[in-house]
Amino acid sequence: MNRKLLVILMLLMVSLFVACGGDDAAAPAAVDEPAPAEESAAPAEEAAPEEAAPAPETQTIVVGYTASQTGSQNVSSTRQVNGLMLWMNQVNAAGGLELSDGTKIMFDHVSYDDESNTDRVQELYTRMATEDDATFLISPYSSGLTAAAAVIAEQYGKVMVTTGAASDSTYQQGLTTVFQAYTPASRYLTGAVDLLAQLDPTVKKLAFVYENSKFSTDVVNAAKAYAESLGYEVVLHEGYDPETTDFGPFINKLQDAAPDAILGGGHFQDGSTFARQINEKNLEVNFLTLLVAPPEPDFADLGDAALGVIGPSQWEPQAAFTKASADEAGMEFYGIESDQFVIDYEAAYDGEEPSYHSAGGYAAGLLLEKAIVDADSTDPVKVAAALDAMDLLTFFGHIKFDTTAESHGLQIGHSMVYIQWQEDGGNLGKQVVWPAEGATADALYPMP
Amino acid sequence: MSENKVAAPAKKLRFMPQLAGRPYLGLSLTLAVIVIMILWPLVTGKDITRETVFTILLSVTLASSLNILLGYTGYVSFGHVVFFGLGGYVGFYLLAIQGWSLWMAMLAGGLSSALLAYLLGRAILRLRGAYFALATIGINEAMRAFINNFKPFGGPIGMTLNFQVYRDYGGASQALWMVFYTMGALTLLAVTVSFFVRTSKFGLGLLAIREDEDAAEVMGVVAPKAKTWAYVLSAIFPGIIGVLFFFKNGSIEPAPAFRLHFSIETIVMVMLGGQGTVLGPVVGSGLYQGIRGYLLTSAIFKNIQLAVAGGLLLLIVLFVPDGVIGWLRHRFPFLRRVLQ
Repeated sequence: MNRKLLVILMLLMVSLFVACGGDDAAAPAAVDEPAPAEESAAPAEEAAPEEAAPAPETQTIVVGYTASQTGSQNVSSTRQVNGLMLWMNQVNAAGGLELSDGTKIMFDHVSYDDESNTDRVQELYTRMATEDDATFLISPYSSGLTAAAAVIAEQYGKVMVTTGAASDSTYQQGLTTVFQAYTPASRYLTGAVDLLAQLDPTVKKLAFVYENSKFSTDVVNAAKAYAESLGYEVVLHEGYDPETTDFGPFINKLQDAAPDAILGGGHFQDGSTFARQINEKNLEVNFLTLLVAPPEPDFADLGDAALGVIGPSQWEPQAAFTKASADEAGMEFYGIESDQFVIDYEAAYDGEEPSYHSAGGYAAGLLLEKAIVDADSTDPVKVAAALDAMDLLTFFGHIKFDTTAESHGLQIGHSMVYIQWQEDGGNLGKQVVWPAEGATADALYPMP
Repeated sequence: MSENKVAAPAKKLRFMPQLAGRPYLGLSLTLAVIVIMILWPLVTGKDITRETVFTILLSVTLASSLNILLGYTGYVSFGHVVFFGLGGYVGFYLLAIQGWSLWMAMLAGGLSSALLAYLLGRAILRLRGAYFALATIGINEAMRAFINNFKPFGGPIGMTLNFQVYRDYGGASQALWMVFYTMGALTLLAVTVSFFVRTSKFGLGLLAIREDEDAAEVMGVVAPKAKTWAYVLSAIFPGIIGVLFFFKNGSIEPAPAFRLHFSIETIVMVMLGGQGTVLGPVVGSGLYQGIRGYLLTSAIFKNIQLAVAGGLLLLIVLFVPDGVIGWLRHRFPFLRRVLQ
């Protein structure tokens, strides 16, 4: 009996391992692919002896992070790591960073699989901070894992730039060395409310139907409070289980409540299903904004159901954050522009279109780079001070961190962009419709 | 369900405690192993050793607690993580929101899990075999759904601990060491409790239930009561260390608190070391977490660590089906007095 049970358990474990590790083959290719960096570093070091002046000292800085090579966060985390590695390879290929004393800064990385759960995150970040000599840290993907890693970063005084971690609460716990690249959850959907106000000032009734998860609830609670402060009436505020596949009961409630606009969603699967079933049931809706799903290219597979749907995104290739727009706004611009990022990313990853997770990974590295340049040092205290003082535009958008004790490191400069699926010559395509300064098209309102 | 047990009369009584011999030798050896683990980070002086051993000690405590139900009583609880999650939530709420001290929060976490186990035990321990196992999964999922909708505990957002709280315990660095030593003390306590349960009259009743519940009742064991108290005892320590783990983690959310995979891993650890023995869960946890930790950070294996871990587990079950301690006891009978 025991033997049979043990065999069954072991088989269950093996099947779980296989299920969780299904993408193992894909992830390492991106994670452990610093080849361009190593190749590029070599010529720089070889060239040095030929110069008459004393060879500048080359310092290799280790950046540590965990990636969800396995588990539920695998896809987004892998894209985030791809973006980060692209940044690292580009910096190293360009000969690294040069400090005013002539020191060359090259980058290397150390990473482990966090398996998309918190069990070992602190152990792995402690390992990177103490054993692997990581000078700087990048967060894992997701707010939950980042909150656990932040405790370790703070304990060892390591600067950690977070990406893929939108929750506000992590940055409101008295941390001093953790800096957020993403627009926080509290402002994730507020732009959609602003867009609606601009499109139709007569609208008064809103409905929030959202996934019952940490991220979505955090986002929707903030958007609801914001909408109510602007005088909107929330006629429906309903969470659904992450596993929900039948949205019939929610759509029936929406029909009864008859809101002017619907906001909510959660992640790709549920958001897509929700949009499709709204379309199938011919629910009359003028304005539909869903989290996460619409910015994904695969959302177009919904066909007519995708048309007119709006989604917030941390970054879109069309968003016009350029050196010219920075000059116009009287701001400093740093790094490459979006067009170049897309070209470089697609070239590095076999034509894969970058998502905002990829851009977030690249941006995290870019912010670290800029802080080292500004600090003219790799000293964590000076780099943290440079991040505190940072106020600039990058391809990812405006970057500025809260420096108050209550919310230190919270992103206060960056804003979401809002895309809408529109028809362009018979094909569905994404257009940036908000904010107005980055818009590539007017929003379709009411949605078709 | 129980027919099979009747057909196989008490052939596995080889794990019966050696009351006539030197029972405390086995306990001493087990505690010595744990004390060595606790002292290991002091010897190496490395923080990473502390983190590695913390993970192992956490697993030893969970596995030893589960062993009271799984190993001694023969009831498989797939959803035992519910006590870890509920205790963690209750304690975290009292700590982060109500401002209680960690010690009182841990006590409350343990008691709340024990209370849940008592109430559940009265209801579901009438079920046997697969029915009981399925019920425990259902309870874990129901509790996760409840917490997900329970606003005082933050609902799906969960709760986060202000970093300043660590200053009350000497700062983050000091707090992490304090958490480690507390975990060490709790592990020693959990294993000691497990030992005394196994060697007590109460424990003999549990072993009798495991071998044949109907026969045990005929012999005077009040099975429902004994099983309920075994369930309660197996729930207290997971509740306490749930608080400790999430205090160290800095935040708590429903999904990681009630992760079913964690329960299954704990069962594997118990069976890997040898269910029904005191030392088994300690060895099983050390082996399992040691192997997983090594593979996860090994330059060679880290990208295929799950596949390698799965393969290793399969080999172990094929060649050491009674667990490490079970195999040693079977292969070397003279070790039975020591390996309990």
